[in-house]
Amino acid sequence: MDNVSLNIGHFYPDLLNLYGDRGNVLALYTRAKRRGIDVNIREITIGDTLDPSSVDIAFLGGGQDNEQNILKDDLVRSKGPVIKEMIESGKVFLCICGGYQMLGRYYLEHNGNRLECLGAIDIYTEGKKERFIQDTIYEIELSDGKKVKVAGFENHSGRTYLGDTVKPFMKVIRGAGNNGEDGYEGARYKNCFCTYSHGSFLPKNAAVTDLLLETALRNKYGEDYELPYLSSEAEDLALRQALEYLNG
Amino acid sequence: MRRALARSAAKTVKFILRILGRGATTLPGKVALRIDPAIISKEAEGKFIITVTGTNGKTTTSHMISEMISSFDGYEVINNISGANLASGIATTLICEKKKDSKKLIYVLETDEAAFAKIAGSLNPKISVVTNLFRDQLDRYGELTHTRDLISSGIGNTTARLIINSDDSLVASLGKGREDRSIFFGMSKDSMKFNNDAYPSRKSVLRASSDAVFCPECKVRYEYRSRSFGHLGDFFCPSCGFKSPENTYSVIYDLKESPSDEGYRFSIDHNGDIRELSLVIPGMHNLYNTCAAVSAVTEMLKLSGETDVFEKACEASSKVKPAFGRMEKIPLQDNKKLCILLVKNPAGLDRSLSFVSEAKDAKALMFLLNSNTADGKDVSWIWDVDFESKVTSFPEKIYVSGERYGDMLLRVNYSGVDTEKIEYAPMNEAVDLLKKAISECEEGGCVYVLPNYTAMLDLRGKLVNELGIKDFWK
Repeated sequence: MDNVSLNIGHFYPDLLNLYGDRGNVLALYTRAKRRGIDVNIREITIGDTLDPSSVDIAFLGGGQDNEQNILKDDLVRSKGPVIKEMIESGKVFLCICGGYQMLGRYYLEHNGNRLECLGAIDIYTEGKKERFIQDTIYEIELSDGKKVKVAGFENHSGRTYLGDTVKPFMKVIRGAGNNGEDGYEGARYKNCFCTYSHGSFLPKNAAVTDLLLETALRNKYGEDYELPYLSSEAEDLALRQALEYLNG
Repeated sequence: MRRALARSAAKTVKFILRILGRGATTLPGKVALRIDPAIISKEAEGKFIITVTGTNGKTTTSHMISEMISSFDGYEVINNISGANLASGIATTLICEKKKDSKKLIYVLETDEAAFAKIAGSLNPKISVVTNLFRDQLDRYGELTHTRDLISSGIGNTTARLIINSDDSLVASLGKGREDRSIFFGMSKDSMKFNNDAYPSRKSVLRASSDAVFCPECKVRYEYRSRSFGHLGDFFCPSCGFKSPENTYSVIYDLKESPSDEGYRFSIDHNGDIRELSLVIPGMHNLYNTCAAVSAVTEMLKLSGETDVFEKACEASSKVKPAFGRMEKIPLQDNKKLCILLVKNPAGLDRSLSFVSEAKDAKALMFLLNSNTADGKDVSWIWDVDFESKVTSFPEKIYVSGERYGDMLLRVNYSGVDTEKIEYAPMNEAVDLLKKAISECEEGGCVYVLPNYTAMLDLRGKLVNELGIKDFWK
């Protein structure tokens, strides 16, 4: 297919840019560009109008509390309804940490204060005093049923619980995951993928990058669209070395 | 009584550690603080203390201030070493370090940001320098606004003259309500504007992750008339009007030549008295550090009743030598050089990459990435940095090692360098890789090595043994 193009919508890059989450956008960009796909990164921040047709993959990272408070109104009130529609219609989203929590129903702070969130996916989060800060390894099942290991880094005090309509994104092999209790990490609702994993998450995990790219491009060009083959030698080396280091 | 006991305990511990051949930079102070928790304020009383805090440039700025003051007749300096910048290290320095009584003694204390909050009141420095605030190992230090608030509460417990960066919105706001004792340094606003117009910066495919984009009080985006780097620049809040304050010490510069080259010429304007200087420690960021040091030394001389104070400070700044192993080029055979730039956080890595991509003698670039506790366990931060706009100016030869070499290798690869063009090896082979880099380096060229903290410590020991160079990083 000629002239394949991909629009990455980078939400609040000036506010949600913690722990190298920028690397996720760079990974999507790089693995699409190397396949000859025309990639366009669009920054969408406070005050910008959101045109769903201009975004094939949406990315929301995590932010510091101060920064997340600044954008909350814009996310929940202004862009909220459009984002919900996009997710319901199967648009690809990747949301990390704070971005993950804010898409959920609410965040119950450690002091009992309840913060209403976007409610785009049926999850909620409870803040606790103790933070989970560590290297992580998860297992993910790809669309062809193959199970692969992925590596990341978590740093969160929120414990997230999934509702019935939402599936876990990955299984925890090492680390705390969503809540340190049920052995799962992240959430998937339709094509909205959420995780606590920084690392950056996508660069070392090319299988996940490709899953997002393929899903987004099939959305756009039809189910017959095949993502062209691209070696993942550098990514796999980084993943292998990280796993070795962690198991060292 | 307690103080006497604490003092003698500290000295005894130091004596024993020295006999054992061990470093004694923090334990003596720790013991003294245990015996007398008020020991710092007792020891600090009556002393002329200058503190230097901020996330980047603490060590360089403290070093410059110390060297400058030491060059004056009748003055002597006592300072702590960079690794001993918590309460224990500062207590050790105050108790155990001695100089002749005949000279005026100035204490120059590099102080960790969180430690500053706790001990600033006890130290009650005469002068307190705050260099800048960039994100720094957030998994260890927490949020940047929190760090800023810690420094603010520390300052609130002192009567110090504040030497603060006007171009950093987080730092400049420390002067609010403290106008009578705040002295601002930074880039000349006209000069910054001129350079922005004359030499526009390269566009990147993806902007670097930036700090302090919004006014914390109004939650409105700061606007900039001009910028230097990162979030530093001539900012203003369109809502409350808070803006980059007017400088008492302003750097006038022209990027026609590169501050990455040795001997870069620039000027500092102090209330209309403009003096030309040569940048002794290269790098755009060292324009800030030099200006901070000249400001602090000038103010110290003023408080000491000297005359021609600004002139003296400027003259002294040209005599500063880089600390061994920090930005200093270590000469090797065949006229080759080795330059080690410690990178601990995104701002430091960004500046070092900028520096290397501008340095004319850069023939090889080596990265070393570890993720031990002292480095921060999380290596994600390397993705916050904009490699993408600088990659076309990187040296041809790139080498990667460290305990997390896979992550760094991919980082360099994703900036647009083929993996085949990058040589890499695990940390236990780092020295061999460096030797290879040196041997492949063309005559007269410089190999730039960018390690993070524990990688630097590891490499340092091995280099001293295997390359026979003098120990650095004291």
